Amino acid sequence: MDAYRLADVEAVLPKLRAGDPIAQEALFRAFESPVYNLARRICRTTEDAEDVLQETFLEVFRSIAQFRGDGSIWGWVRTVAASKALMRLRRNRYRDTDELNDDITPLRREDAALRMDLEAALERLSETSRSVVWLHDVEGYTHEEIAQMMDRTVSFSKSQLARAHARLRRWLGEEVAV
Amino acid sequence: MTHLTMEQLLALREPGLEPGVQSCREHVAECEVCRAEFDRLGQRIARLKALPTLKPARDRFASIRDRARGERSIRRVRVGAVGILALAASIALAVVTLRPHRERELVAASPELEDVMLRSQQLERALAQFDPDRRLVNGRTVTITATLEDRVAQLDRQLEVVQLLDTPERQHEALRLWRERVGLLDALMDIHLTGARYVGF
Repeated sequence: MDAYRLADVEAVLPKLRAGDPIAQEALFRAFESPVYNLARRICRTTEDAEDVLQETFLEVFRSIAQFRGDGSIWGWVRTVAASKALMRLRRNRYRDTDELNDDITPLRREDAALRMDLEAALERLSETSRSVVWLHDVEGYTHEEIAQMMDRTVSFSKSQLARAHARLRRWLGEEVAV
Repeated sequence: MTHLTMEQLLALREPGLEPGVQSCREHVAECEVCRAEFDRLGQRIARLKALPTLKPARDRFASIRDRARGERSIRRVRVGAVGILALAASIALAVVTLRPHRERELVAASPELEDVMLRSQQLERALAQFDPDRRLVNGRTVTITATLEDRVAQLDRQLEVVQLLDTPERQHEALRLWRERVGLLDALMDIHLTGARYVGF
């Protein structure tokens, strides 16, 4: 079941297709937070996340005629948002080396004993790893869907997730004593 | 005893039964360390899902609405312009066919008009070089661009009408309209070149 719903979608859709700004605002208000949250969890900066928010809704308003109502409107909006966020990562890749070497910044000596909170640990992951973790574990996308969205293989998605969890476990001090 | 890898533990959470998953499941049932690791993995994912929803610091709806409105307006103008151009082409063909001598006189009689039309064509070609997506920088730019393009479309309709006139003022009026058209196209060029910091019209 969707966590986010737009009241009376059937009534709003024809107005959205006609470009009615009131209907557009209703859609925006319903999904603004989850779209921004998804973008912010994937993108490096708040500015990038805000740009993704804007690009997502512009694309949704532009392409609303293509939404045939087969699935939930939130599912459709979320897929647009995820694509835009991943596109933004690809665009910014020149700043980032995580595609060549997904290792994060080497741990400083004192970090070894550091107990991070989950928010900080998630932030510390590379953009690619964080995207896979968020899309798979929180948004519920399958490895096949993630591979398609990222233009990578299913095994890439699986290995990114495993490596990310191994790191999170270490940073959160959750390693089980054998 | 060899414990399960993180990838194997994650595979246990996936729907369906991939080869090897059953033996991993049996291992987890027997191995305390892997069972604890598997439980921690589930707890970590539950904590990820429970992280607070981040919210944007400012309301972006007004700028999104303005940009969406601008894009719709431009699309309408473009669709209208295609129709008008088709109509204009038909009328021009009819006029040329029916009154070929008169049309040649118009061009020959006004080198100034020819110059202005040539300048207009050059500007149209230059404007076509801009990427339509990059052109839409912000809401204000979109609004100005849409206003200018609307006016160009109006001028094109007026030019069609002027072409059908059979009065001495026809030449003068056509020149005036073409000049205005060149001015508007110049302003559109300014927008693309300066990012619409200021456009006077």
